[in-house]
Amino acid sequence: MAAQGNRIDDTGLIREAQQGNRAAFEVLVRHYDQSVLRLALHLTGSESDAQDVYQEAFLKAYKNLGSFRFECSFYTWIYRIVTNLCLDHLRKRNVRKEDAPVAVDSSGEEYSRIEQFADARSGANPERDLMRRELGRKIGSALTQLTPRERMVFELKHYHGLKLRTVGEMLNTTEETAKNTLFRATQKLRAALLEMR
Amino acid sequence: MKCDWVRQNILFYVYNELEDDARYEVEQHLGRCPECATELKATRKFHATLSENVQEPSPNLLALSRMRLQEALETTRQGGLWHRMILEPAAWLRQIRMAPALAAVIFIVGFGGGIGATYNFLAAGHESDGTITSSVGGGKQAANQPLEASTITGIRSVTQEPGSNQVSIKYDTVSTQEAQGSLNDQRIQQLLLFAAHTNYNSGVRMDSVDVLTQAPDDSRVREALLYALQNDTNAGVRLKALDGLSGFVRQDPTVRDGVLRALISDENSGVRMQALHLVEPMKADSNVRSVLTRLSQTDQNPSIRSQAKAMLAQMPEMD
Repeated sequence: MAAQGNRIDDTGLIREAQQGNRAAFEVLVRHYDQSVLRLALHLTGSESDAQDVYQEAFLKAYKNLGSFRFECSFYTWIYRIVTNLCLDHLRKRNVRKEDAPVAVDSSGEEYSRIEQFADARSGANPERDLMRRELGRKIGSALTQLTPRERMVFELKHYHGLKLRTVGEMLNTTEETAKNTLFRATQKLRAALLEMR
Repeated sequence: MKCDWVRQNILFYVYNELEDDARYEVEQHLGRCPECATELKATRKFHATLSENVQEPSPNLLALSRMRLQEALETTRQGGLWHRMILEPAAWLRQIRMAPALAAVIFIVGFGGGIGATYNFLAAGHESDGTITSSVGGGKQAANQPLEASTITGIRSVTQEPGSNQVSIKYDTVSTQEAQGSLNDQRIQQLLLFAAHTNYNSGVRMDSVDVLTQAPDDSRVREALLYALQNDTNAGVRLKALDGLSGFVRQDPTVRDGVLRALISDENSGVRMQALHLVEPMKADSNVRSVLTRLSQTDQNPSIRSQAKAMLAQMPEMD
Protein backbone atom coordinates (compact mmCIF):
# COMPACT_ATOMS: atom_id res chain seq x y z
CA MET A 1 0.00 0.00 0.00
CA ALA A 2 2.88 2.29 0.81
CA ALA A 3 4.30 1.95 -2.65
CA GLN A 4 1.04 2.95 -4.23
CA GLY A 5 0.30 5.68 -1.73
CA ASN A 6 3.33 7.72 -2.63
CA ARG A 7 3.76 6.60 -6.23
CA ILE A 8 7.23 7.75 -7.13
CA ASP A 9 8.39 8.83 -10.54
CA ASP A 10 10.72 6.00 -11.41
CA THR A 11 11.33 6.95 -15.03
CA GLY A 12 14.95 7.97 -14.51
CA LEU A 13 15.77 4.89 -12.48
CA ILE A 14 14.10 2.57 -14.98
CA ARG A 15 16.01 4.10 -17.89
CA GLU A 16 19.30 3.73 -16.02
CA ALA A 17 18.47 0.14 -15.07
CA GLN A 18 17.56 -0.58 -18.69
CA GLN A 19 21.05 0.51 -19.64
CA GLY A 20 22.49 -2.11 -17.29
CA ASN A 21 22.90 -0.03 -14.11
CA ARG A 22 22.31 -2.63 -11.41
CA ALA A 23 22.45 -0.13 -8.56
CA ALA A 24 19.52 1.76 -10.13
CA PHE A 25 17.59 -1.50 -10.35
CA GLU A 26 18.28 -2.21 -6.69
CA VAL A 27 16.87 1.21 -5.74
CA LEU A 28 13.77 0.39 -7.79
CA VAL A 29 13.47 -2.92 -5.98
CA ARG A 30 13.52 -1.17 -2.61
CA HIS A 31 10.62 1.07 -3.64
CA TYR A 32 8.34 -1.91 -4.11
CA ASP A 33 9.77 -4.98 -2.46
CA GLN A 34 7.99 -4.65 0.87
CA SER A 35 4.57 -4.70 -0.82
CA VAL A 36 5.68 -7.53 -3.08
CA LEU A 37 6.87 -9.63 -0.15
CA ARG A 38 3.68 -8.90 1.77
CA LEU A 39 1.51 -10.00 -1.16
CA ALA A 40 3.56 -13.16 -1.66
CA LEU A 41 3.48 -13.96 2.05
CA HIS A 42 -0.30 -13.52 2.30
CA LEU A 43 -1.00 -15.62 -0.75
CA THR A 44 1.49 -18.42 -0.25
CA GLY A 45 1.24 -18.57 3.54
CA SER A 46 4.86 -19.62 3.77
CA GLU A 47 7.97 -17.51 4.36
CA SER A 48 10.12 -19.68 2.15
CA ASP A 49 7.58 -19.70 -0.71
CA ALA A 50 7.18 -15.95 -0.32
CA GLN A 51 10.95 -15.54 -0.59
CA ASP A 52 10.97 -17.67 -3.74
CA VAL A 53 8.20 -15.64 -5.35
CA TYR A 54 9.97 -12.39 -4.37
CA GLN A 55 13.23 -13.61 -5.88
CA GLU A 56 11.69 -14.96 -9.06
CA ALA A 57 9.59 -11.84 -9.62
CA PHE A 58 12.48 -9.38 -9.36
CA LEU A 59 14.85 -11.55 -11.38
CA LYS A 60 12.20 -11.81 -14.09
CA ALA A 61 11.75 -8.04 -13.97
CA TYR A 62 15.51 -7.52 -14.22
CA LYS A 63 15.88 -9.83 -17.19
CA ASN A 64 12.91 -8.33 -19.04
CA LEU A 65 13.37 -4.70 -18.08
CA GLY A 66 14.46 -3.96 -21.65
CA SER A 67 10.95 -4.75 -22.83
CA PHE A 68 9.31 -2.35 -20.37
CA ARG A 69 7.91 0.43 -22.59
CA PHE A 70 6.31 2.76 -20.01
CA GLU A 71 2.83 1.80 -21.25
CA CYS A 72 1.78 1.27 -17.64
CA SER A 73 3.40 2.22 -14.34
CA PHE A 74 6.36 0.15 -13.15
CA TYR A 75 4.28 -0.64 -10.08
CA THR A 76 1.55 -2.23 -12.22
CA TRP A 77 4.16 -4.06 -14.29
CA ILE A 78 6.00 -5.62 -11.33
CA TYR A 79 2.68 -6.49 -9.64
CA ARG A 80 1.54 -8.20 -12.83
CA ILE A 81 4.63 -10.41 -12.64
CA VAL A 82 4.09 -11.16 -8.95
CA THR A 83 0.38 -11.86 -9.29
CA ASN A 84 1.05 -14.32 -12.14
CA LEU A 85 3.63 -16.14 -10.03
CA CYS A 86 1.30 -16.22 -7.03
CA LEU A 87 -1.62 -17.43 -9.15
CA ASP A 88 0.56 -20.27 -10.43
CA HIS A 89 1.48 -21.06 -6.84
CA LEU A 90 -2.16 -21.02 -5.67
CA ARG A 91 -3.27 -23.22 -8.56
CA LYS A 92 -0.55 -25.74 -7.84
CA ARG A 93 -1.48 -25.72 -4.18
CA ASN A 94 -5.16 -26.21 -4.97
CA VAL A 95 -4.19 -29.26 -7.00
CA ARG A 96 -2.15 -30.57 -4.08
CA LYS A 97 -5.00 -29.68 -1.68
CA GLU A 98 -2.63 -28.38 0.95
CA ASP A 99 -4.71 -25.55 2.17
CA ALA A 100 -4.23 -25.70 5.90
CA PRO A 101 -3.53 -22.26 7.34
CA VAL A 102 -0.15 -23.41 8.51
CA ALA A 103 2.98 -21.62 7.37
CA VAL A 104 6.58 -22.74 7.21
CA ASP A 105 9.26 -20.33 8.37
CA SER A 106 12.71 -19.97 6.86
CA SER A 107 14.17 -22.56 9.23
CA GLY A 108 11.63 -25.12 8.01
CA GLU A 109 9.53 -25.14 11.15
CA GLU A 110 5.76 -25.07 10.87
CA TYR A 111 3.75 -22.50 12.73
CA SER A 112 0.22 -21.23 12.63
CA ARG A 113 0.02 -17.84 10.90
CA ILE A 114 -3.01 -17.07 12.94
CA GLU A 115 -1.40 -17.95 16.25
CA GLN A 116 1.59 -15.84 15.39
CA PHE A 117 -0.75 -12.97 14.65
CA ALA A 118 -2.46 -13.39 17.98
CA ASP A 119 0.83 -13.70 19.82
CA ALA A 120 2.09 -10.48 18.38
CA ARG A 121 -0.83 -8.70 19.98
CA SER A 122 -1.15 -10.72 23.12
CA GLY A 123 -1.88 -8.52 26.01
CA ALA A 124 -3.26 -9.04 29.45
CA ASN A 125 -6.45 -10.70 28.20
CA PRO A 126 -5.89 -14.39 27.35
CA GLU A 127 -9.59 -14.94 26.66
CA ARG A 128 -9.59 -12.22 24.04
CA ASP A 129 -6.42 -13.66 22.53
CA LEU A 130 -8.07 -17.02 22.26
CA MET A 131 -11.08 -15.53 20.48
CA ARG A 132 -8.87 -13.60 18.13
CA ARG A 133 -6.91 -16.73 17.37
CA GLU A 134 -10.12 -18.62 16.69
CA LEU A 135 -11.38 -15.86 14.41
CA GLY A 136 -8.06 -15.85 12.57
CA ARG A 137 -8.35 -19.57 12.01
CA LYS A 138 -11.85 -19.13 10.60
CA ILE A 139 -10.77 -16.35 8.26
CA GLY A 140 -7.82 -18.43 7.07
CA SER A 141 -10.13 -21.33 6.39
CA ALA A 142 -12.73 -19.13 4.64
CA LEU A 143 -10.06 -17.65 2.35
CA THR A 144 -9.12 -21.11 1.14
CA GLN A 145 -12.64 -21.54 -0.23
CA LEU A 146 -12.05 -18.83 -2.84
CA THR A 147 -10.75 -19.59 -6.31
CA PRO A 148 -7.17 -18.37 -6.94
CA ARG A 149 -8.48 -15.43 -8.95
CA GLU A 150 -11.06 -14.45 -6.33
CA ARG A 151 -8.41 -14.71 -3.67
CA MET A 152 -6.08 -12.49 -5.69
CA VAL A 153 -8.68 -9.79 -6.37
CA PHE A 154 -9.75 -9.79 -2.72
CA GLU A 155 -6.14 -9.59 -1.54
CA LEU A 156 -5.25 -6.72 -3.87
CA LYS A 157 -8.38 -4.76 -3.00
CA HIS A 158 -8.79 -5.47 0.69
CA TYR A 159 -5.22 -5.77 1.96
CA HIS A 160 -3.37 -3.65 -0.60
CA GLY A 161 -6.07 -1.02 -1.12
CA LEU A 162 -5.70 -0.95 -4.91
CA LYS A 163 -8.38 0.52 -7.15
CA LEU A 164 -10.36 -2.11 -9.05
CA ARG A 165 -9.29 -0.48 -12.33
CA THR A 166 -5.63 -1.14 -11.38
CA VAL A 167 -6.46 -4.67 -10.22
CA GLY A 168 -8.08 -5.31 -13.62
CA GLU A 169 -4.97 -3.96 -15.40
CA MET A 170 -2.71 -6.19 -13.32
CA LEU A 171 -4.77 -9.28 -14.00
CA ASN A 172 -5.25 -8.48 -17.70
CA THR A 173 -8.97 -8.07 -17.33
CA THR A 174 -11.55 -5.27 -17.12
CA GLU A 175 -12.56 -3.22 -14.12
CA GLU A 176 -16.05 -4.65 -14.42
CA THR A 177 -14.78 -8.23 -14.22
CA ALA A 178 -12.61 -7.36 -11.21
CA LYS A 179 -15.68 -5.79 -9.59
CA ASN A 180 -17.78 -8.90 -10.14
CA THR A 181 -14.98 -11.13 -8.84
CA LEU A 182 -14.65 -9.02 -5.68
CA PHE A 183 -18.39 -9.20 -5.11
CA ARG A 184 -18.37 -12.97 -5.49
CA ALA A 185 -15.35 -13.34 -3.21
CA THR A 186 -16.85 -11.29 -0.39
CA GLN A 187 -20.20 -13.12 -0.67
CA LYS A 188 -18.38 -16.43 -0.32
CA LEU A 189 -16.31 -15.17 2.61
CA ARG A 190 -19.34 -13.83 4.45
CA ALA A 191 -21.23 -17.07 3.93
CA ALA A 192 -18.25 -19.14 5.06
CA LEU A 193 -17.76 -17.05 8.19
CA LEU A 194 -21.47 -17.18 9.03
CA GLU A 195 -21.49 -20.96 8.68
CA MET A 196 -18.59 -21.23 11.09
CA ARG A 197 -20.32 -19.32 13.88
CA MET B 1 -34.47 3.64 -5.79
CA LYS B 2 -34.68 -0.06 -5.21
CA CYS B 3 -33.12 -1.68 -2.17
CA ASP B 4 -31.72 -4.46 -4.42
CA TRP B 5 -29.55 -2.03 -6.33
CA VAL B 6 -28.28 -0.43 -3.12
CA ARG B 7 -27.43 -3.78 -1.54
CA GLN B 8 -25.46 -4.80 -4.59
CA ASN B 9 -23.46 -1.61 -4.32
CA ILE B 10 -22.96 -1.31 -0.58
CA LEU B 11 -19.74 -3.32 -0.79
CA PHE B 12 -18.30 -0.94 -3.40
CA TYR B 13 -19.50 2.00 -1.30
CA VAL B 14 -17.47 0.65 1.64
CA TYR B 15 -14.47 0.02 -0.63
CA ASN B 16 -14.78 3.54 -2.05
CA GLU B 17 -15.29 2.28 -5.58
CA LEU B 18 -18.47 4.15 -6.52
CA GLU B 19 -18.67 7.13 -8.84
CA ASP B 20 -19.77 10.37 -7.13
CA ASP B 21 -23.33 10.17 -8.48
CA ALA B 22 -23.88 6.58 -7.37
CA ARG B 23 -22.31 7.33 -4.03
CA TYR B 24 -24.70 10.21 -3.50
CA GLU B 25 -27.68 8.04 -4.43
CA VAL B 26 -26.60 5.30 -2.01
CA GLU B 27 -26.17 7.80 0.82
CA GLN B 28 -29.58 9.33 0.17
CA HIS B 29 -31.19 5.89 0.23
CA LEU B 30 -29.38 4.80 3.39
CA GLY B 31 -30.71 7.88 5.16
CA ARG B 32 -34.29 6.79 4.68
CA CYS B 33 -34.08 2.95 4.63
CA PRO B 34 -33.24 1.35 8.00
CA GLU B 35 -32.88 -2.14 6.49
CA CYS B 36 -30.23 -1.05 4.04
CA ALA B 37 -28.56 0.95 6.84
CA THR B 38 -28.36 -2.31 8.83
CA GLU B 39 -26.81 -4.00 5.81
CA LEU B 40 -24.21 -1.23 5.61
CA LYS B 41 -23.37 -1.77 9.28
CA ALA B 42 -22.95 -5.51 8.70
CA THR B 43 -20.73 -4.93 5.65
CA ARG B 44 -18.55 -2.50 7.61
CA LYS B 45 -18.21 -5.00 10.43
CA PHE B 46 -17.24 -7.74 8.00
CA HIS B 47 -14.67 -5.38 6.42
CA ALA B 48 -13.21 -4.50 9.83
CA THR B 49 -13.08 -8.15 10.94
CA LEU B 50 -11.05 -9.14 7.91
CA SER B 51 -8.78 -6.13 8.31
CA GLU B 52 -7.75 -7.29 11.76
CA ASN B 53 -6.02 -10.36 10.44
CA VAL B 54 -3.07 -8.79 8.70
CA GLN B 55 0.30 -10.47 8.69
CA GLU B 56 3.26 -8.24 7.84
CA PRO B 57 6.59 -9.69 6.66
CA SER B 58 9.18 -9.42 9.41
CA PRO B 59 12.19 -7.09 8.87
CA ASN B 60 14.30 -10.21 9.10
CA LEU B 61 12.51 -11.87 6.19
CA LEU B 62 12.77 -8.68 4.13
CA ALA B 63 16.51 -8.32 4.82
CA LEU B 64 17.12 -11.95 3.89
CA SER B 65 15.10 -11.70 0.71
CA ARG B 66 17.03 -8.58 -0.30
CA MET B 67 20.36 -10.28 0.31
CA ARG B 68 19.36 -13.36 -1.64
CA LEU B 69 18.22 -11.21 -4.53
CA GLN B 70 21.43 -9.16 -4.54
CA GLU B 71 23.40 -12.36 -4.71
CA ALA B 72 21.34 -13.69 -7.59
CA LEU B 73 21.56 -10.40 -9.49
CA GLU B 74 25.33 -10.68 -9.50
CA THR B 75 25.13 -13.70 -11.75
CA THR B 76 22.11 -12.65 -13.79
CA ARG B 77 22.28 -10.89 -17.10
CA GLN B 78 19.66 -8.59 -18.54
CA GLY B 79 18.07 -9.52 -21.85
CA GLY B 80 20.51 -8.15 -24.44
CA LEU B 81 19.94 -6.05 -27.52
CA TRP B 82 19.63 -9.07 -29.81
CA HIS B 83 17.12 -10.69 -27.50
CA ARG B 84 15.05 -7.53 -27.48
CA MET B 85 15.25 -6.98 -31.20
CA ILE B 86 14.24 -10.52 -32.04
CA LEU B 87 11.39 -10.59 -29.54
CA GLU B 88 10.12 -7.11 -30.19
CA PRO B 89 9.38 -5.90 -33.68
CA ALA B 90 8.69 -2.41 -32.24
CA ALA B 91 12.33 -2.18 -31.22
CA TRP B 92 13.29 -3.02 -34.80
CA LEU B 93 11.21 -0.15 -36.11
CA ARG B 94 12.84 2.23 -33.67
CA GLN B 95 16.25 1.03 -34.81
CA ILE B 96 15.31 1.67 -38.43
CA ARG B 97 14.22 5.20 -37.56
CA MET B 98 17.70 5.76 -36.14
CA ALA B 99 19.39 4.18 -39.17
CA PRO B 100 20.67 7.34 -40.93
CA ALA B 101 22.33 8.60 -37.73
CA LEU B 102 23.78 5.14 -37.07
CA ALA B 103 25.18 4.92 -40.60
CA ALA B 104 26.87 8.31 -40.18
CA VAL B 105 28.42 7.20 -36.86
CA ILE B 106 29.70 3.94 -38.40
CA PHE B 107 31.22 5.87 -41.29
CA ILE B 108 33.00 8.36 -39.01
CA VAL B 109 34.26 5.65 -36.63
CA GLY B 110 35.40 3.49 -39.55
CA PHE B 111 37.22 6.37 -41.17
CA GLY B 112 38.90 7.39 -37.90
CA GLY B 113 39.80 3.79 -37.11
CA GLY B 114 41.38 3.34 -40.51
CA ILE B 115 43.61 6.37 -40.03
CA GLY B 116 44.53 5.22 -36.51
CA ALA B 117 45.45 1.72 -37.67
CA THR B 118 47.66 3.07 -40.44
CA TYR B 119 49.45 5.35 -37.97
CA ASN B 120 50.01 2.47 -35.49
CA PHE B 121 51.35 0.20 -38.20
CA LEU B 122 53.92 2.79 -39.27
CA ALA B 123 54.89 3.56 -35.67
CA ALA B 124 55.36 -0.16 -34.85
CA GLY B 125 57.70 -0.48 -37.79
CA HIS B 126 60.02 2.12 -36.24
CA GLU B 127 60.02 0.51 -32.77
CA SER B 128 60.61 -3.09 -33.75
CA ASP B 129 64.30 -3.17 -32.82
CA GLY B 130 64.39 -5.32 -29.64
CA THR B 131 61.96 -3.42 -27.44
CA ILE B 132 59.67 -6.45 -27.04
CA THR B 133 61.19 -8.49 -24.23
CA SER B 134 58.70 -11.30 -23.64
CA SER B 135 59.90 -14.80 -24.31
CA VAL B 136 58.09 -18.09 -24.54
CA GLY B 137 59.02 -21.22 -22.63
CA GLY B 138 60.14 -20.45 -19.11
CA GLY B 139 61.26 -16.86 -19.64
CA LYS B 140 60.80 -14.06 -17.05
CA GLN B 141 58.69 -11.11 -18.13
CA ALA B 142 58.63 -7.45 -17.27
CA ALA B 143 55.72 -6.75 -14.96
CA ASN B 144 54.50 -3.39 -16.18
CA GLN B 145 52.78 -4.55 -19.36
CA PRO B 146 49.25 -5.89 -19.05
CA LEU B 147 48.72 -9.50 -20.04
CA GLU B 148 46.10 -10.83 -22.40
CA ALA B 149 43.80 -12.42 -19.77
CA SER B 150 42.65 -15.17 -22.10
CA THR B 151 46.23 -16.44 -22.46
CA ILE B 152 46.59 -17.27 -18.72
CA THR B 153 45.64 -20.88 -18.05
CA GLY B 154 46.63 -21.16 -14.37
CA ILE B 155 48.86 -19.84 -11.58
CA ARG B 156 51.50 -22.20 -10.20
CA SER B 157 52.80 -20.23 -7.23
CA VAL B 158 52.81 -16.81 -5.55
CA THR B 159 55.80 -15.80 -3.44
CA GLN B 160 56.42 -12.48 -1.75
CA GLU B 161 59.97 -11.46 -0.89
CA PRO B 162 60.05 -10.95 2.91
CA GLY B 163 60.18 -7.31 3.99
CA SER B 164 59.46 -5.90 0.53
CA ASN B 165 56.54 -5.53 -1.81
CA GLN B 166 58.24 -7.58 -4.52
CA VAL B 167 56.16 -10.53 -5.66
CA SER B 168 57.12 -13.43 -7.86
CA ILE B 169 54.38 -15.34 -9.64
CA LYS B 170 54.78 -18.46 -11.77
CA TYR B 171 51.93 -18.80 -14.21
CA ASP B 172 51.01 -20.96 -17.17
CA THR B 173 50.07 -19.86 -20.62
CA VAL B 174 50.82 -22.58 -23.12
CA SER B 175 53.89 -23.19 -21.00
CA THR B 176 54.84 -21.88 -17.54
CA GLN B 177 55.93 -18.24 -17.30
CA GLU B 178 57.16 -16.15 -14.43
CA ALA B 179 56.52 -12.52 -13.66
CA GLN B 180 58.25 -10.43 -11.00
CA GLY B 181 57.51 -6.98 -9.80
CA SER B 182 56.08 -4.83 -7.06
CA LEU B 183 52.51 -4.99 -5.81
CA ASN B 184 51.80 -1.78 -7.68
CA ASP B 185 52.61 -3.28 -11.07
CA GLN B 186 49.65 -3.77 -13.31
CA ARG B 187 50.63 -7.26 -14.46
CA ILE B 188 51.28 -8.49 -10.92
CA GLN B 189 47.89 -7.20 -9.78
CA GLN B 190 46.23 -8.81 -12.77
CA LEU B 191 47.81 -12.20 -12.01
CA LEU B 192 46.94 -11.98 -8.32
CA LEU B 193 43.30 -11.21 -9.09
CA PHE B 194 43.25 -14.06 -11.57
CA ALA B 195 44.72 -16.44 -8.98
CA ALA B 196 42.23 -15.38 -6.30
CA HIS B 197 39.30 -15.89 -8.65
CA THR B 198 39.94 -18.97 -10.61
CA ASN B 199 42.87 -21.08 -9.56
CA TYR B 200 42.34 -24.76 -8.91
CA ASN B 201 45.04 -24.92 -6.22
CA SER B 202 43.71 -23.63 -2.88
CA GLY B 203 47.26 -23.03 -1.56
CA VAL B 204 47.85 -20.58 -4.41
CA ARG B 205 44.47 -18.94 -3.84
CA MET B 206 45.42 -18.54 -0.18
CA ASP B 207 48.78 -16.94 -1.10
CA SER B 208 47.25 -14.57 -3.61
CA VAL B 209 44.43 -13.52 -1.27
CA ASP B 210 47.06 -13.01 1.42
CA VAL B 211 49.05 -10.67 -0.81
CA LEU B 212 45.90 -8.91 -2.01
CA THR B 213 44.85 -8.10 1.56
CA GLN B 214 47.80 -5.69 1.61
CA ALA B 215 46.11 -3.48 -0.97
CA PRO B 216 42.40 -3.49 -0.05
CA ASP B 217 42.05 0.19 -0.98
CA ASP B 218 41.82 -0.83 -4.61
CA SER B 219 38.16 -1.49 -5.45
CA ARG B 220 39.09 -4.39 -7.77
CA VAL B 221 40.99 -6.01 -4.90
CA ARG B 222 38.01 -5.60 -2.60
CA GLU B 223 35.82 -7.13 -5.27
CA ALA B 224 38.19 -10.12 -5.54
CA LEU B 225 38.23 -10.52 -1.76
CA LEU B 226 34.42 -10.44 -1.65
CA TYR B 227 34.33 -12.99 -4.43
CA ALA B 228 36.70 -15.25 -2.48
CA LEU B 229 34.62 -14.78 0.69
CA GLN B 230 31.46 -15.85 -1.08
CA ASN B 231 32.70 -18.53 -3.42
CA ASP B 232 35.97 -20.05 -2.31
CA THR B 233 35.58 -23.66 -1.26
CA ASN B 234 38.47 -23.40 1.21
CA ALA B 235 37.47 -21.94 4.60
CA GLY B 236 41.06 -20.72 5.18
CA VAL B 237 40.90 -18.60 2.03
CA ARG B 238 37.50 -17.22 3.08
CA LEU B 239 38.91 -16.30 6.51
CA LYS B 240 41.86 -14.60 4.88
CA ALA B 241 39.51 -12.64 2.63
CA LEU B 242 37.45 -11.58 5.65
CA ASP B 243 40.62 -10.39 7.26
CA GLY B 244 41.43 -8.23 4.26
CA LEU B 245 37.95 -6.73 4.22
CA SER B 246 37.87 -5.96 7.94
CA GLY B 247 38.71 -2.27 7.57
CA PHE B 248 35.87 -1.61 5.11
CA VAL B 249 32.80 -3.00 6.85
CA ARG B 250 31.85 0.41 8.17
CA GLN B 251 32.45 2.52 5.08
CA ASP B 252 31.55 0.23 2.19
CA PRO B 253 27.95 -1.10 2.15
CA THR B 254 28.85 -3.76 -0.44
CA VAL B 255 31.50 -5.14 1.92
CA ARG B 256 29.02 -5.01 4.80
CA ASP B 257 26.42 -6.94 2.80
CA GLY B 258 29.05 -9.50 1.81
CA VAL B 259 30.10 -10.02 5.42
CA LEU B 260 26.43 -10.32 6.49
CA ARG B 261 25.86 -12.91 3.77
CA ALA B 262 28.83 -14.88 5.09
CA LEU B 263 27.45 -14.52 8.60
CA ILE B 264 24.17 -16.10 7.57
CA SER B 265 25.18 -18.67 5.04
CA ASP B 266 28.82 -19.66 5.47
CA GLU B 267 28.93 -23.31 6.48
CA ASN B 268 32.09 -22.86 8.53
CA SER B 269 31.45 -21.64 12.07
CA GLY B 270 34.96 -20.13 12.30
CA VAL B 271 34.18 -17.90 9.33
CA ARG B 272 30.80 -16.98 10.81
CA MET B 273 32.41 -16.18 14.16
CA GLN B 274 35.02 -13.96 12.49
CA ALA B 275 32.26 -12.22 10.49
CA LEU B 276 30.34 -11.67 13.72
CA HIS B 277 33.35 -9.85 15.21
CA LEU B 278 33.60 -7.66 12.13
CA VAL B 279 29.99 -6.48 12.24
CA GLU B 280 30.02 -5.84 15.98
CA PRO B 281 30.78 -2.11 15.65
CA MET B 282 27.86 -1.86 13.19
CA LYS B 283 25.28 -3.57 15.36
CA ALA B 284 23.01 -0.53 15.42
CA ASP B 285 22.47 -0.87 11.65
CA SER B 286 18.99 -2.31 11.00
CA ASN B 287 20.25 -4.99 8.56
CA VAL B 288 22.94 -6.07 10.99
CA ARG B 289 20.42 -6.14 13.80
CA SER B 290 17.99 -8.34 11.93
CA VAL B 291 20.78 -10.75 11.00
CA LEU B 292 21.90 -10.85 14.65
CA THR B 293 18.33 -11.61 15.73
CA ARG B 294 18.17 -14.46 13.26
CA LEU B 295 21.56 -15.80 14.34
CA SER B 296 20.63 -15.64 18.01
CA GLN B 297 17.67 -17.91 17.26
CA THR B 298 18.75 -20.23 14.50
CA ASP B 299 22.53 -20.58 14.21
CA GLN B 300 23.67 -24.15 14.69
CA ASN B 301 26.62 -23.08 16.79
CA PRO B 302 25.66 -22.34 20.44
CA SER B 303 28.60 -20.01 20.93
CA ILE B 304 27.52 -17.88 17.92
CA ARG B 305 23.93 -17.87 19.17
CA SER B 306 24.95 -16.67 22.60
CA GLN B 307 27.38 -14.10 21.24
CA ALA B 308 24.70 -12.69 18.93
CA LYS B 309 22.29 -12.57 21.87
CA ALA B 310 24.87 -10.75 23.98
CA MET B 311 25.46 -8.21 21.22
CA LEU B 312 21.72 -7.60 20.87
CA ALA B 313 21.37 -7.24 24.63
CA GLN B 314 23.99 -4.49 24.68
CA MET B 315 21.94 -2.39 22.27
CA PRO B 316 19.28 0.07 23.33
CA GLU B 317 15.75 -1.08 22.42
CA MET B 318 14.61 0.31 19.10
CA ASP B 319 11.09 0.42 17.68
